[in-house]
Amino acid sequence: MDRMAELIVKGRWIIILSFLALTGAMATQLPKIEFDPDVKSSLPADMPSRVSLDRIEDLFGGTDMVLMVIEADDVLAKDTLSRVKALSAGVERMPGVDRVMSLFTMKDIHGEFGDMYVDPAVEKIPKNERQLKELRARIKGNDMVYGSLVSEDFSATAIIALLKLDAQDLEVKQGLIKLTEDNPGPGKIHLAGLPVVRTNISRDMRQDMSRFMPMAILVLLVFLFLCFKQLRGVLLPFGVVVMSVIMVMGLLPLIGWKIQILTILLPIIMVAIANDYGIHMIARYQEKNRAGSGMTSKDLAKDVFKSMGKPILITAVTTMAGLLCLTSHIIISAQQLGILAAIGIGFALLASLLLIPAILAVLPMAKPLRQLNDGKNRGLIERLLNKNASMVNHRPWTVVLVLVGFVAAMGTGIGLIQVDTNSINYYDAGNPLVVAANLVDEKLGGSTSMAVVAEGNIKDPAVLREIDELEQALLALPEVDQTTSIAKVVRQMNMALNDEDPEFDRIPDSIEAVAELFLLYSFSGDPEDFDRLVDFPYEHALLTARINSPATKATSAVVNFTRDYVAERPDSRLVEVGGFAVLFSDLVDAVVRGQIISLLLSLLLVGLFVGILFKSFVAAGLSVIPIAISIILLFGLMGHLGMELNMISAMLSSIMIGVGVDYTIHFLWRYREERFKGMDARAAIRETLTTTGRGILFNAASVVVGFTLLLMSNFLPVRFFGVLVMVTISACLIGALMLLPGLVLIIRPRFLEPKSLGGKK
Amino acid sequence: MIKRFSRFFLFAAALSLLVPGPSAVAGQLTGVELAKQVNVGRQLDGSEMLSTLKIANKKGQTRIRKMATVSKLFDNGATERRLIRFVSPADIKGTGLLTFDYENKTDDLWLYMPSRKKTRRIVASQKAKSFMGSEFTYADITPPSIDDFKYEITGSATEDGVDCWILRATPKNESIADENGYSKRDAYVGKTDLVVRRAVYHDRDGELWRELTATDVKLVDKDKARYRAHHMKIVNHQNGRTSELLVEQLNLRADIPDDYFTTRYLERD
Repeated sequence: MDRMAELIVKGRWIIILSFLALTGAMATQLPKIEFDPDVKSSLPADMPSRVSLDRIEDLFGGTDMVLMVIEADDVLAKDTLSRVKALSAGVERMPGVDRVMSLFTMKDIHGEFGDMYVDPAVEKIPKNERQLKELRARIKGNDMVYGSLVSEDFSATAIIALLKLDAQDLEVKQGLIKLTEDNPGPGKIHLAGLPVVRTNISRDMRQDMSRFMPMAILVLLVFLFLCFKQLRGVLLPFGVVVMSVIMVMGLLPLIGWKIQILTILLPIIMVAIANDYGIHMIARYQEKNRAGSGMTSKDLAKDVFKSMGKPILITAVTTMAGLLCLTSHIIISAQQLGILAAIGIGFALLASLLLIPAILAVLPMAKPLRQLNDGKNRGLIERLLNKNASMVNHRPWTVVLVLVGFVAAMGTGIGLIQVDTNSINYYDAGNPLVVAANLVDEKLGGSTSMAVVAEGNIKDPAVLREIDELEQALLALPEVDQTTSIAKVVRQMNMALNDEDPEFDRIPDSIEAVAELFLLYSFSGDPEDFDRLVDFPYEHALLTARINSPATKATSAVVNFTRDYVAERPDSRLVEVGGFAVLFSDLVDAVVRGQIISLLLSLLLVGLFVGILFKSFVAAGLSVIPIAISIILLFGLMGHLGMELNMISAMLSSIMIGVGVDYTIHFLWRYREERFKGMDARAAIRETLTTTGRGILFNAASVVVGFTLLLMSNFLPVRFFGVLVMVTISACLIGALMLLPGLVLIIRPRFLEPKSLGGKK
Repeated sequence: MIKRFSRFFLFAAALSLLVPGPSAVAGQLTGVELAKQVNVGRQLDGSEMLSTLKIANKKGQTRIRKMATVSKLFDNGATERRLIRFVSPADIKGTGLLTFDYENKTDDLWLYMPSRKKTRRIVASQKAKSFMGSEFTYADITPPSIDDFKYEITGSATEDGVDCWILRATPKNESIADENGYSKRDAYVGKTDLVVRRAVYHDRDGELWRELTATDVKLVDKDKARYRAHHMKIVNHQNGRTSELLVEQLNLRADIPDDYFTTRYLERD
């Protein structure tokens, strides 16, 4: 430690210049950063629901769909319908669009005098009342469009574009917007569907990034100045933050990663945590920089390194270990976040340990702070810290019991937690995307879909009946209003061929009878009419059920029902349950499971690190307590407040471990040091809480202040995240400055007692 | 706009433009004259044929149908009647199709479904529509109404080793273009046999749409010097699908009884 301190002071210029050079080099990478808002790419390629989605897309084409919804008093009115026709034709011509489903592309299969007719759902735009009435009656009788492409009250109609696999979201969205501008007319137009949601998320992500960063930096600067009242207390920890943010962001293009929805948290995490180490160094510097101490700036720099080097190294390494536990997470962007944050912390650690003392050695001495030297003229923070120390010292049992009681009460909320992963829920109720999605859910059958694949000879009535039975069972669920399948079409054709006799609304009895229907259809329909329902060789069929609510709960209900249904029929030819609905449903499991695993792992790791450090099991146990209570508080609060656990908020607990462990280690380290110097327990508690405690308080406060920036995000969950971080970091603070000292006084663990005194008496 | 059609096994016979004319006179031959000659030249007094229709999607998956066809001219060549019987696949074996292809009115078409023991008239289709799920359209397999198009011989070229006229057909108005699905068709017509060796279709937006190639041209009617391509392949450049028609056997048969071309006969298994 001593030799290292000497080296740092001696090589101070080399250190300063190499840090500057490295940061400058990484800064050149920043313009190359790319964004990837796709939810799917965040899931591992071997995850069953992603494999299944890929397989479905391979068989039946892209499942991604964009919905253009036209809302009007009566969408069948001449002018409105003419506009819908023009828009539908325009969407069909757009690059990236594979297939369009609209009133003008869907068919109306009907029968009369023994003949089967296949006509467009809307053949002609009605010119008078009589034609309008006829058209309305025909649409009401057309299962393929009524309730899904046109609402039952005729106040909304959808043009659904199924995208090619290589379609560019943004290009499609801009194309649609231009199309609506080029075709003005009556009716209000909404855009819905995941690709649109994704482009908005991508846009808002960029917006959030460019808005948060400068503000985060400004807030941090002001806050640190208020704490330290000296410019170096502001500039040094701040410099470390900026450098580590540049380092870790610059790394993204170098390792070929893109910014994803979770990566947005990275700079914020860096802002919140990377300043920890610098703050502790500066706090120590100010503590030692007393009038008449006779120390030079080089002596102070060496002292700061010698006294703080070890605890900072330990806390940083523990934090990194905690963050790396995220690599056990199923969600890829969570893994990346963990790795990137750990690298950032590593860099912040190096910068704090090497660069800050090097700069302190170069700078002239700062003026000693009055608040720290003058017992009578203390600042607010110092008085607060002192008061807290007195309370803990006098009533350790009361402090511990009250806190434990409070945590237990909050913990009851854990059972109430809801999980949500649908990205539309990232937005507020008034957002146009949400308005459009609600419209689709309420009037047009829903925008999330579940797919079930059947395998076998699709013309075989046995297979068709299986599809049909599941379809009927799904339609009986409250979450499903609309389904499409080849079985439904076969029933419709069979009925049309028999003069619309409802008795023939069923699957025919032989393969030949089914094959005849398809042959008959091929003379009047378009070859691609059934592309999304059955594959080319008639070996696979797709049943699609649209779910009328964006809530993950609704999706899970439908998916679980279907999985159970299929599982109960081991010989079933229904071989695959997939689609975006399943992806979302699995994402829920992935989020919860990923979270539990990474939490347990990081708790274990933190306990292990601290246990080894202090060579004590009790130490391991104590170190876990403040983190555990803040985790209980976090999830309890989420449950009580009805905040949903989603991809972003689930990340919280792992990050917290990194932050919370800092406080614990710093407290324990300093307390032991004071005890070993000969102080009694209560004096050591007071000394620790007013010195290291000051650093911890600044630290926690800066985190809380930094995270308030998230409240300005466009994303509801990001805002929730901000609130939750503020709450839990405060919980960590209370854990470290109240609960932990209380427990230490009550238990008097041996590892904290000076060896000369022979341990606890 | 929607025209009832028939003429569907024409396929081989037709692909509309494929036939030789008796008087392929070079010199001041105009586009319209050439188009008329092609139309006349595609007619056979009577024929029997075995053919295979192969439809392939972008992934190369295929659907194959084998058909036996008889045809005969009625009303002095103004009407062509055909009877097609599907030979395979098994699930449509025995299914029959009867078509009356009229010169000046909407075609008639009946499908016999043996499992139901019922015959149904098939209704409603645009000429631009796919024929039986293939990349051939109805417009491809029925001879065009000469009056609907402007014709122009734009040059000569060698196709499949044969000297050809390039005959360009352009729809006279928007609604004809809509009905036929194309804005322009360039047909490469053999100068001596009047068989269309190649035809290139551009869609309503002027984009390259489909491309037909016809090979294996054989003389079918020696007396009238009528030739037929026995292998036709069409590639849809927009959706990556292809369809092929292979004529395995094609014989001139003037002696087919008239009552073959009735729904009563159609329903005989």
